[in-house]
Order: sequence, then structure tokens, then C-alpha cells
Amino acid sequence: MNLKNGLIVAALGLGMFSCGNSEPQDVNVVDTTSQEDMLTEDMFESPDVDYHLPSPLQVASIFKKSGLAYHSNITNPTANSPKYTEELKQMLNFGVYSADMAYCVLNEQSNEGRKYLAVITDLAEQIGMESVFENKDLMDRFDKNIENKDSIEILMIDIHERTETYMEENDMQHKSSIHFAGAWTEGMYLGVYDYEKNKTKDGLGAQITEQMSILNNIIKGLEDPKNAGIDLGWLITDLKTIQSTFDEFESVKAYVADENATELELTDTEFKSLGDLIKTLRSKIINA
Amino acid sequence: MKKTFVFIASFCFVVLFAQTAANLTEFKENIETQKVEAKDALKPYRYDGSKVTYFNFKTYKQTKEVEVYLFNQTDYRFSFNGKSLPNDITVQIYDEDATITNRILLKEFTGVMGKNVVVETTELQKAYDSKKPNGGRLKRVFVSYAIPGVPGAENKTPTMKERGAMVLVMGYKM
Repeated sequence: MNLKNGLIVAALGLGMFSCGNSEPQDVNVVDTTSQEDMLTEDMFESPDVDYHLPSPLQVASIFKKSGLAYHSNITNPTANSPKYTEELKQMLNFGVYSADMAYCVLNEQSNEGRKYLAVITDLAEQIGMESVFENKDLMDRFDKNIENKDSIEILMIDIHERTETYMEENDMQHKSSIHFAGAWTEGMYLGVYDYEKNKTKDGLGAQITEQMSILNNIIKGLEDPKNAGIDLGWLITDLKTIQSTFDEFESVKAYVADENATELELTDTEFKSLGDLIKTLRSKIINA
Repeated sequence: MKKTFVFIASFCFVVLFAQTAANLTEFKENIETQKVEAKDALKPYRYDGSKVTYFNFKTYKQTKEVEVYLFNQTDYRFSFNGKSLPNDITVQIYDEDATITNRILLKEFTGVMGKNVVVETTELQKAYDSKKPNGGRLKRVFVSYAIPGVPGAENKTPTMKERGAMVLVMGYKM
């Protein structure tokens, strides 16, 4: 139970005791310790094993450093945004658009980046995170600094931090894996797209492979029991297919078996299989 | 008499409940302040995110672990803030998770209670290179918090003095 809910329970408790003016039939000793437990049991005990996933900006900047080139018109068009009426699609595409915004900003396409900030703001409102973007201060800052890439990047970090804090304060961290699944798929798609255009970019190929290491934890996050009410079955199945296909690649098996192997390199055929699966999943996510 | 007893019991419950909520609010607010402090210590590295690990000191030892990814061509800085620790803990950083029996301890430190401690991955990589020559580049690390047992702790119904949190803020070099 989060703190806000705890306070509501406290308020209800207060109401219960202040409103009743009739004498109770029985004298009950109030068990205050169990009430305290109820207030705190989830929020203040982290799991024994946890993980940190990289921000979309970090992923985009790593891809950029590895030689990822900018291609216009390959990101998810902002015109698709109103089509996302289901909450799951809204959350996934919040992640997709975050990755697209990072891709545009890092490639000095600030005007494109601004469009993505606008759709992210709209989607945030629809998925109950409007306070992250309230007062439109972020958009104002974006406009004031549109020519300054560093300032825009700092603004993106602020958005990420505000989102992170909001989700933590409102006990919504389990949903962050859904945003991340969208952002991860889009980042991989952008990487695969560029790599297919120019396979001499070894660094980029290696980076795409490296990003596979976080997939298991994304799946684990999606499988959080708190996400049980969301229809994530198809997404988890597709991500697990990507994971198991990757794990079965000969190059991957050889890499895992060799204790002295330092870097993993996929063959062209393996890369194509991985790329096809990523493209199929991305298409499912961005199509309403 | 019965009415008076009910009133007193109810009053005590309300006061205790409100006090608990207030203490927890303060605990959370302190963590937000510590996050800011830990973030400041990251500079000039770029902030990437935070992970607050909450736990309750119990009569027995416990371990909590956080997996952090390290990507190619990137240096990272970890900022640990232990100002929400009522007792000290041991921070250990390994190359593998706890299921790997021969995992390598890259760094260990104590005395983080009440302090902010910064660790860089260049240091962890050096330790890895010396302990496992030809091991290549560290691709992830596992930050393990060894939480000691505290005699007399309330295991089932922890009080505020048993509640602790470690704030870990991560940053990367551009």
C-alpha cells in the first residue's frame, strides 16, 4: 500500500472514530501494530533481487556513439498518437515516443523532438501521469532552448527523473516496465534499421546485441503480479520469443559456453532473424 | 467507565496512526533530499536513474541485490547515499549474481551510514582485470547490500528505528 493510500486509510480511521456517537456493544482492543504493518508492508521492503534499467536517453546516446545515423520518417509518426485509446497501447507508446524523442534530440532534430514532447505530454495525461508535465513548464523550457542541444538533453533527464519519482511515489513502478518495453523495442528497431542499411557498422551491431542483455529483466518486470489486470500476454509472448530465439543462436551458445569469450558477434542470418522479430513486435506496438 | 476506555483506546489509535503516517512521510521526504544530494555527487556524469532499496533491520542477516548494466564505451559513476540508515551495512559489488558461487568481489565498503559514497566503474574494471585477466569488459555489476542482524529488532512489526533505505543514483559519462 502506498503512502497516499495509507493516509486515506488513516483519514477513514479518523472518520470512523469521530462520526460514531453510539456506544459500541463490545470493547475491542485496537491492534495498532497490524495497522502500522498494513500502512507500510509493500512500500518499505524492496525485493531481495532488483535491477536498474537504463534510461531511453542513455540507450539512444550509446547507439549514437556506436555510429547510429539519423533517418527521417522512421520514428513512430506523432499522428498515430490519437489512435491509442487502450491504456496498454498508451503506456507502450509513451515509451516508444520517449525513445523517438531521444533519437531526434541526440541527432539535433529539435523541431521533431518538440513534436514528440507534445505527444508524450498528451499520453502522460491519459495514463494518469499528467502531473509530471503539469504547468507546461517543460514545453516552455524546450522552446526557450530549442537551439541548445545540451539544455534539451538536460530537460529530457528532468522528464525521466520526474516520471521515475512520480511512479515511485504512486506505487506505479510495476508499470514502468511497460513504458520500458516500448522504449526498448523502438530503440532496437532504430538500431536494426540503420544496421541493415550499413552492415559495416560493427559497433552498432555489437550494441544491438548488447541491448539483448536487459530483455530478461524487462520480461520479469512485465510479469510482476501487480500487472495482472493488464492484457500483457501477447507482449510477454513476443518478447520471450525474441529472447529464446536469441538464446538458441549458435553464436550465442558458443559465447556462453566459452568462458574466455569477451564479445558476442552474431552472423548475418542470426541478425536478420532477430531484426525480423523486432520489426514484427514494433509493428504490433505502434499499430492501434 | 467502558465509554471512557473506548474513547482512550480510540484516541491512542488515532494518535499512533497519525504519528506513523507522519514519520513515514518524513522518511520519504528525507529520501528525496538524499537523492538530490547523491545526484549532485554524480557531476559531471549525466544522471541516468536511481534505485532506492528499502529494508527493515531484523534479528538476522539479510541481503538485497541490485543489478546494473554497463554498456560498451561508457563509464559510469554510482553514488550511494546512506543517510537513511539507522545502522551501518556493508556494500559489496560483484561481477555476477548471487547464484554464481565463484563470483568476483570487485569492491567492498562499510561506513556508508550517514554518508554519500561515490564509486566509478573504471575502478571496478581495474579490480576485475586484476582478478580475472582476459575477463574482458564488465557488462554488468551486482550491488549487494549485506544488512546485519540487530538484536531485539521487531521482525514482524518494524518500528521506525528499524527502517532503512539505501539510495543509489547512477550516472554515465558522455
